[in-house]
Parts: sequence; structure tokens; C-alpha cells
Amino acid sequence: MGTIVTIDVYVEAGIPVDRLAAHVGRARSALHRADDVFSTWKVDSPLSRLRRGETTVSQMPLEVAGVLDACRVARELSGGWFDPWALPGGFDPTGYVKGWAAERALDALRVPDVAAAVVNAAGDIASFGGPAPGAPFRFAVVDPFDRARFACIVEHTGAVATSGTYERGQHLFDPHSRGVTSALASATVTGPELGMADALATALAVGGPDVFERIDALEGFEALVIGHDGDREWTCGFPLAHESVSSSGNPAA
Amino acid sequence: MRRAVIVIGTTVVGLVAVLSFHTVPAKLTLGSLSAGTASRSTTTTTPAGASPPTTGSAPPSPTTAVPTTVAPATTRSATGSPVNYHFGLISVTATVSGSKLTNVSIASLDDGGSPRSQSIDQQSIPILEQQALQAQSANIQGVSGASYTSAGFQQSLQAALSQLGFK
Repeated sequence: MGTIVTIDVYVEAGIPVDRLAAHVGRARSALHRADDVFSTWKVDSPLSRLRRGETTVSQMPLEVAGVLDACRVARELSGGWFDPWALPGGFDPTGYVKGWAAERALDALRVPDVAAAVVNAAGDIASFGGPAPGAPFRFAVVDPFDRARFACIVEHTGAVATSGTYERGQHLFDPHSRGVTSALASATVTGPELGMADALATALAVGGPDVFERIDALEGFEALVIGHDGDREWTCGFPLAHESVSSSGNPAA
Repeated sequence: MRRAVIVIGTTVVGLVAVLSFHTVPAKLTLGSLSAGTASRSTTTTTPAGASPPTTGSAPPSPTTAVPTTVAPATTRSATGSPVNYHFGLISVTATVSGSKLTNVSIASLDDGGSPRSQSIDQQSIPILEQQALQAQSANIQGVSGASYTSAGFQQSLQAALSQLGFK
């Protein structure tokens, strides 16, 4: 996948270093395992062989069927705006797998030694616990028009995914028009799980209002969008930090 | 208060992991970094007051840089070890005045000279410098929608801050 993953772990002072290293080693192994199975760059990865039709899902490692099922759910929940089967070059679940892999790394850190953890996969975040007992994590969302600034701060322990066109130019694919597009400058989705949050954020950035309404109706997921004109909208339950609610934004009705 | 710096490296193809550890109240920083087929593995700890370790390419830091109590508003700087950030190597210098991070700057940058890398650097680095300072005042634990460069930048910054005994 060639992405950069940052892992922050919150532990009691005095924990033996070798025990910490073992926990982190498992988290890292989970990322490598995901990369080995789902890489579209490695010609011999199970996913690459599946894409070439050399094998079937039933012959794949167990997690492949689970990821395919989740991709089908994401496609349905997004109204088809997230569709790994409609991509040029063949089936590519990378839009879901990156978040899914971060969640597997996070799972490896759910041990008594670790009070809280944040796995940040190139700007898409999975987390549990908090910076202090009873406090949620605070994550900033980059301002798509001025990346030196933050558009807002989200108070949420769980998944935060942001999709947009500002980072690598136009790279979002519209499965309906089969072209490269984006309805929004930036789309952020919070939820309990990063694979789905990431897939929905991608769908939202491409699909705009249609996907926004779908996420609004979805239990556990919330969205904030920033239009090309700078207008902001967010779903009623979006976990904005109090101080980041500016007069320029209007909550979605 | 006890503080430790741990650096663990590994062999990676395709993925780079940057790790940092926090403790309450003391913060423990663990950096792990890897790229290409290079394999490094160092594990060191530094109790407060002891001489910090020299790990890999990290410059040795002065023993006075790890205070056991919060120093008055003296201004100190340290430079983090070079970190691979996907397009090259980056090293960050942090300046701390008392308990406040006052400046963040690039100490060295080797992007291989490719036009694409340089274009990304020119866009990203001033942004990351400002984000680091803004993040401190906003009390946040992460940034959503960040760039390729950000993880390497953060890790070198973290290393610099650890040398200063700054959490």
C-alpha cells in the first residue's frame, strides 16, 4: 500500500520496554499481514492473483472473504458511490483495506498494558481509550484551502476518516460516471470502525449530498463536508469540539 | 518523573510505521521507522537525569536537556534524527521556551532532488511547521487528512522534543 502509519500508545509509566515492544510488534505484524494479502502492487499477493482470476475467494486467506463482504456492505450503504468493483483496472478494495488494516493493528494493542492507542494511517485515524481517563481523543481536520490550518477539531474516540482532492490532486473515481471527480473539497466521516468510515468518506467526497443524507440516516456514523465554495455542513450528531464551531458553519437541518 | 526514549527499527517493504508511546503523567516516546530493505534494531531507555543514548544517526544530546523538574523559561533547541518520509530523509529542529514549543524548523532535508519530491516538500513543510505549533495550542492527538510527509516530520520532531525532555 506504500502508506505511512503512525501509532501512538498510552501506557502506565514504568512498563517494561520488552513488553511494550512485543505489543507494538504485533500491531506492526498486523499491518504487514494486511499488506502481504491485499497489496495490488505485489504481483504474487493473494489479491493480485484473485484480480487476475487465477484463484477463487474460497482458496484465499480467511480475511479476504470478510473484506469482500464489508466492501459489499459499504457499496450498499453508500448507494453505489463506493464501489471497488467499478474501478478501472479491476476489483480494488484498497479504499476499505487501509482503514481495515489500521483497525487490525489497533486490535493488537487491546491488551491490559495499553490504556489507549491511536493508529493514524496517512490521515485516517483509528483509536480506542483517550488521552486521560474518561476524556475522548481530539483530532484536527485539515483545512482543504489552507493546509497549514485546521478546519475544525473533532472530539471522538473511534474512527475519523477524511477524503478530498487537496492532498494528491484529483484522485477520486466516480463509479457512476466512470470519471475522476469530486463534489466536495473535503469530506470527513466519524464512526466506530475505520474501514467503513474511510469507504464512506471516499463515497461522500465523490457523491456529495446523496451520500451525506445516507450517512445522516446511518446509526453510529456522522459526517462533515466542506464544499468547493468553503461552505460547511455537518450531521446533527457530528462530534465537533465546542470551540471549533465557527459562525461560518451551519449544522445540517 | 521517569522518561524514556526507545527506538526500534525493522525491515519493511511497502509500509512504514512510526510509533510513539505516551505515559501518564510521564510521556514515553518510541519511534520506529523503516524503509526499503534496511534493517535496524536498537532498543534503549533513558531514565531522567541519566545520559541519553546515542541511537543510530541521532546526535548525542546534552545530559542537561532532560530536567527532572520543569525548568524556568529558558530557551533550548534540539534536532531529531533524520527520518525517512517516503520521498527522502527529513530532520526537524524544535525550540522550547520553558514548557512551550516556540519554533519548529527543518534541520536537513534530502529528497533525492526529484522535481516531484521537491514540489511536495515546498508545499508540505511550511504547513507542517505551522501545524505542529497550532496542534500544541489546540491540544490535539492527531490530524485527519494529513500528508505523506507528516509522519516523518512528526517522528523527527518527537525525537527532538524527547531530547529536550519536553512532553
